[in-house]
Amino acid sequence: MPFLQLNALHFAYPDREEVVRDVCLQLAPGEIHCLIGRSGCGKTTALKLAAGLLLPQQGQVQLKGLPVQQPTSDMGFVFQSPTLLHWLSVLDNVLLPISLHGPVTHEHRDYGEQLLTQMGLTALRDSKPQQLSGGQQSRVAIARALITRPAVLFMDEPFAALDAITRDELQSDFLALCQSHGTAVLFVTHDMTEAVYLADRVSLMHKGRMQSSLQIDLPRPRHRAMRYTPAFNALCEQLRHAMDTAL
Amino acid sequence: MKRDAILSTLLGWLCLAAWEAAVRVGHASSLVLPAPSVVAQSLWQGLSSGYLWPHILHTLTEVVLGLLLGASMGFAGGVLLGESARLRGIFMPYVVISQVVPKLALAPLFIVWFGFGTLPTVVITALICFFPLLENTATCMQQVDANKLELFRMLRASAWQTLWRLKLPASLPSIMAGLRVAVVLAWVGAVVGEFIGASRGLGALIIAAQGSMDTPLMFAVLTIITVLGLTFYKACEWLERRLLGSFSDRSTRTSS
Repeated sequence: MPFLQLNALHFAYPDREEVVRDVCLQLAPGEIHCLIGRSGCGKTTALKLAAGLLLPQQGQVQLKGLPVQQPTSDMGFVFQSPTLLHWLSVLDNVLLPISLHGPVTHEHRDYGEQLLTQMGLTALRDSKPQQLSGGQQSRVAIARALITRPAVLFMDEPFAALDAITRDELQSDFLALCQSHGTAVLFVTHDMTEAVYLADRVSLMHKGRMQSSLQIDLPRPRHRAMRYTPAFNALCEQLRHAMDTAL
Repeated sequence: MKRDAILSTLLGWLCLAAWEAAVRVGHASSLVLPAPSVVAQSLWQGLSSGYLWPHILHTLTEVVLGLLLGASMGFAGGVLLGESARLRGIFMPYVVISQVVPKLALAPLFIVWFGFGTLPTVVITALICFFPLLENTATCMQQVDANKLELFRMLRASAWQTLWRLKLPASLPSIMAGLRVAVVLAWVGAVVGEFIGASRGLGALIIAAQGSMDTPLMFAVLTIITVLGLTFYKACEWLERRLLGSFSDRSTRTSS
């Protein structure tokens, strides 16, 4: 049985035409699945539907066999912008999902600090978000999403605003973190190399519909050098071709 | 920065010295423009003889009461209007209308309703403090970043938590800007209220000094009002820093 399942979803914002049409998708536990498409193709809406932030007008989202009506504690979400609370320290931002649902224990704090260490932010735990660079803020947002040990993580182009080098580093660190936790990821992006580098499978969206999907058979763990291999480039080309021929 | 502060202080002293010199050279009557030294003397006399203290205390009480009443109601009203689009739709037109009414012009009416004394002045002060807070709170609560609201939905925060942990801290600078305006206006409200219907307080004292042509005393009272207003303003800034600090402390606390 698939872990996360999107069954024939339809969605339209009020007074606008449908942005998501008959979208189906399945995610296995621990799988990293990228959703790629041009701006405005409905991929962010599909992601919000999967996370329960929006409810489909038709179709159903199921997580572990149960219908999703609203966000659950099994989910983490990383938004396009880091959306950190500027009046909280870095560590308190990471602990926010915990502190909203009860007292913060020493174990929580230790885990928060461990995540920050894995993200290379140990020295900044007491800083305020506005003192951090864009890349560092994205790292904090990822640590915040992982603090509840979610089974599935939803990512909405979290690295889109970063420079190329920072993005490469973050992708590698993010992969390592997800693999070590066995977290399943649904990752929305418009960057083809990002999709190929991160994903087990890439699905292509066009005008609200799922067009095609591509299995990425690159070995894991992935590392930087892989980006320059013929196999990697062939997959990028294949994806590009699929995007170009999308109707 | 430090040099600017020194220059700024120097400018103040220079103005006072020029004023003093102008009065002495020009032999201006102290009835029209008393020299700073004469004002200082009058101020010192009033303070040391204890003549000014009851008036200061009286006005201070009115300002504090009016401010507490008006600001807290304005804040609470602002939160309600900020949270509920329906309440906004129903009440906002009347809020705007009542804001346009010149509050000070209501003073004679309030004397008819509440008699002479502290009450009408407190009511005017409260009314004046009410609107800046209401408007600022209601407005900025709707301007909270939509992404952060979505984050709180994703984290399954209750409406109450979203209010206390997101909307209020995010709105704090704007709310405090409203409070700073209210604090300054509170002194206007109290003093003008006393002009119209009071026998005690700093406003009443200005009117009395005018009657007895004691211009140095008028200046002395103005000085006191300015200093007190400034103190309140500074207290506001201090409060803002404290509140921001307390919001950031909240989740830091660890229980084991």
